[in-house]
This record gives sequence, structure tokens and C-alpha cells, in this order.
Amino acid sequence: MSSTEIIPDALIDSERAAYTERGGALWYCGSGLIVRDVARAMNAVGARFITITTYELAANGGFRLEYHWDLMGNLLGFDFPIAGNTMESIYDLCEAADWIEREVHEEYRIDFRGRGYEPLLLREGGVCGVNLQKEVVQ
Amino acid sequence: MSYEIPMGPYHPGLEEPYKLSMICEGETVRDAKLEIGFNFRGIEHLAETRNYIQVIALMERVCGICSFIHTLTLCQAMEKLTGFTPPPRAQYIRVVMGELERLHSHVLWAGIAAKLMGFKTMFMTCFEIREKVMDVLQAISGNRVNYSMNRVGGVNRDIEDPQSILAMVEALEREMRKTIIPIFTTSKTATSRCAAVGVLTHEKAISLGVVGPVARASGVAQDLRKQAPYAAYEEMEFDVPVVKDGDVRARLLVRALEIIESCRILRQALAKLPPGEVVCGDGKFNFLKLTAPTATARVEAPRGEVMYSVSWKEGARNPSRVHVRTPTYVNMPSVRFMVQGARLADTPLIQASVDPCYSCTDR
Repeated sequence: MSSTEIIPDALIDSERAAYTERGGALWYCGSGLIVRDVARAMNAVGARFITITTYELAANGGFRLEYHWDLMGNLLGFDFPIAGNTMESIYDLCEAADWIEREVHEEYRIDFRGRGYEPLLLREGGVCGVNLQKEVVQ
Repeated sequence: MSYEIPMGPYHPGLEEPYKLSMICEGETVRDAKLEIGFNFRGIEHLAETRNYIQVIALMERVCGICSFIHTLTLCQAMEKLTGFTPPPRAQYIRVVMGELERLHSHVLWAGIAAKLMGFKTMFMTCFEIREKVMDVLQAISGNRVNYSMNRVGGVNRDIEDPQSILAMVEALEREMRKTIIPIFTTSKTATSRCAAVGVLTHEKAISLGVVGPVARASGVAQDLRKQAPYAAYEEMEFDVPVVKDGDVRARLLVRALEIIESCRILRQALAKLPPGEVVCGDGKFNFLKLTAPTATARVEAPRGEVMYSVSWKEGARNPSRVHVRTPTYVNMPSVRFMVQGARLADTPLIQASVDPCYSCTDR
């Protein structure tokens, strides 16, 4: 994916179809996104990483991870459904993602591949998965 | 030979519990590691057990200083879920409350910074002025800290006599222009203690994604009130102070100049307060008929961008998810880079220059 393909419509007219506005953010409509490609593309256009919001999917299990970047006041959203509990880390590409990846790991027991963890919000004896609706099994 | 000096989690130099472990060589800090989580309350999880009225009261308690901003961001997200647009008068009142909270936060911070500089008279002056800002907040909302002003679709209380509030704001501005602003912008004491201390370079500020005065003091011209205006900010004339130096003095200057801009916004908002209702419709959050399942809102808090993502299943009494991204959460990792190469004695002032809020960060 090239960086120009995911620049929001507001900035490049020819890419107007690539995003839809929903609930206060511009959501990328394309499918088959790879999070590390998105992070590289966002770096290339100078977007500021904001956060990752995790949703636990009740029906079939798994999670939905929403990644947000800010580009000149536009809030960009990228949706990543995952069946299991692993996801590629973007920490090496995006320094600002460090704490939020650690937090998602502690709250939802999601493993971000390619990085190590140090405790963030949990203290000694704290069990990862504190935000899970399902009972935490160690 | 290097050695490690721990500061915190409980220490007179820290306002809230966190731990900064510094690797030093002599008096110079070479590196540092930050530990948070001592206040972790699981508020996001708790929010999933609260209805639409209770969740506003809960989120007001994420932060003791930015309590209005948190409920504003949450209510704006919930308004996007339902398609509500608050009436113009409510939008103006939100601007007034938001700017008063910014004044309250910046003056409080200035007092603490003055104390850490060894300038205790200034600390007392700042806290005296802060009391007067809180008097204005109390005159509007009836409360001094948790204001209970926001609701879905507007605000709970009107400003019945804007002229009397305007007179209070003008008196406050005169006092701040006479005391806080000259001291923090021109005094030798502040300059000698803060210049070239705790530098965060422009490049590092961008890489870490820092927000608010910390970003603007490193030359990053970013403010949601201008870039993505909410409430009635589009109708206000104001400047966004940006300083390039990236040191403690730059952060001091940015906040001092923001105090002046906040007073400017307050004068405009109170003078132009439009007539009409302060809440749209019956002000009830109709969770049986939502226009979107998930919504996001962002607001420029005194410390920088706050973002809420709210997800609500149609017909459910409680939200299925409330995610809060606070400004200190992204600003605090920058302390590690600010203290590298600094003198050990400067580290309390450096960490305070970020204006950290651990209540927000830990949630």
C-alpha cells in the first residue's frame, strides 16, 4: 500500500472514495489492511499516532482493534478485526504506540508480536486481562 | 561509575504517585525509567456497568482538575451516537467552562512550578488567584471541582447573569497580567532556573506524539480548538502560542501566553452569549434509537488532547465500551528524554513542566 492511497479525502480529492465519515472519524473503507503498512504510510505523511481502542467481540470471540491517527486535525480510523489474541506490533515504527500496546496487552491479554513487555498499569501480582468480560483463566 | 536514584512513587517532589528511576553519573542523569499504575482504578471497565447518567458522573472523576473536559468529551461522543446537536447557548457555556478550567489548571501548575523553582511567594500568589478562578466556576456551576455541567445534548445550568461573570473574569485577567504573566515571561529568576533545562527537541516531540503545551513548547503548532473546532470555538478569535526552544522555560511561556488567550476567549464568549435553551429536546439519551454504534470525540484539555471512544449497543442500558486517551498518557514518556543529560536537582522541575496528571493517566 502506498502512502497516498490512505491519505484522507479531505486532503486529496482523488482519494475521496477511500474514507467514510462515521461517528466523528474518517474511516478507511478498504479491506485487507496490514497494520504495519498503515503505520509506515502514516509516518510518511506525518500523521500523529493517537491510540488503539480494543473491543472484545462477544459472538465469535476475538477482538476488534481500532487504530487512530491525526492528520492536520482529521481523525483517521483503521479497523482491524482479529480472530485470536495476537497482532503485529508497530512500536518499532511508531514510538508513540509503546504505552498503549502495553496497556492493551494488560487489559485484554493481546500479544503484540515483535516486542517485549514491561508492566505498565498492573503492579506485582496483577493478572493480564483485567478488562476482559470473560473470566480470566491463567 | 553510574548509580540509580529512585524518585517516588511517594516523594515530596511528586504531586501524585509514580516512580522515576534515574541512572546517574555524578550529578548528571544519563537515563531514566518511568513506572506508572499506582492509581489504576479500572474506570473504563467500571463504565461498562453504568447507565447514561451514571457514566457521566463516573467520568467526571477521571481527573480532579479537568473534570469538565472529561464529561464534555464523553457527552460529545454520546451526542454523535444519538445525532443530538446542543443549542448555541449550550455550546458557548461549554467554551466558558472549558476556558475557566484551563485558567484553573494553568494557574495551579504555575504555582507548583514556582514552588519547585524555590519561588514560594509566587506559589502563594498563584494559589490565591486560583481560588478566585474557582469562585467564578462556583458562581456558574455551584461547584468548585466536579461541576456536573455537561449532559447529553447540552448543559445542566445556564449562565443567568453573564455580565457579572464577565466582571469577575476581567478582574482576574487584570490581576494575572499584573503578577503571573510578567514573572513567568520576563523575570530573571524564572529564566535562569528554566532556560535550556529539560529540552524536548522538535523531532522527538513529533516522534512521541506529545500534545498540548508540551508539544507547542517544542514548536509543534497543534491545537484542536483551531484544527478541529468543537463547541463554539469556530466563532472565537484567538491565537495559539508556539515556542520553539523545547525547554522548561518554553513550556512556562506557552502556558503564560495561553492564560492571556483564555481570557480573550472568555471575554468574547460571555459578551456574545446567544439567547435560547441550554439543552436540546428533552435532554434524554435515547439508547433505543442510535444513529451510530460507535463514536469518537476529541477536546483540547489544558494538558492537551483528550479522546473518548464510546460504543453502545442499541437498546442496551450501559455502554459496551468507553475508552479514554488522556494527554498525560502521551506526554509522560517524553520525561525520559527531557532528563537525559540534566542535573539531578532539576528533575523535579522537569517532570513538573509536563504538568502530569496521574489520576488521568492511570484511570
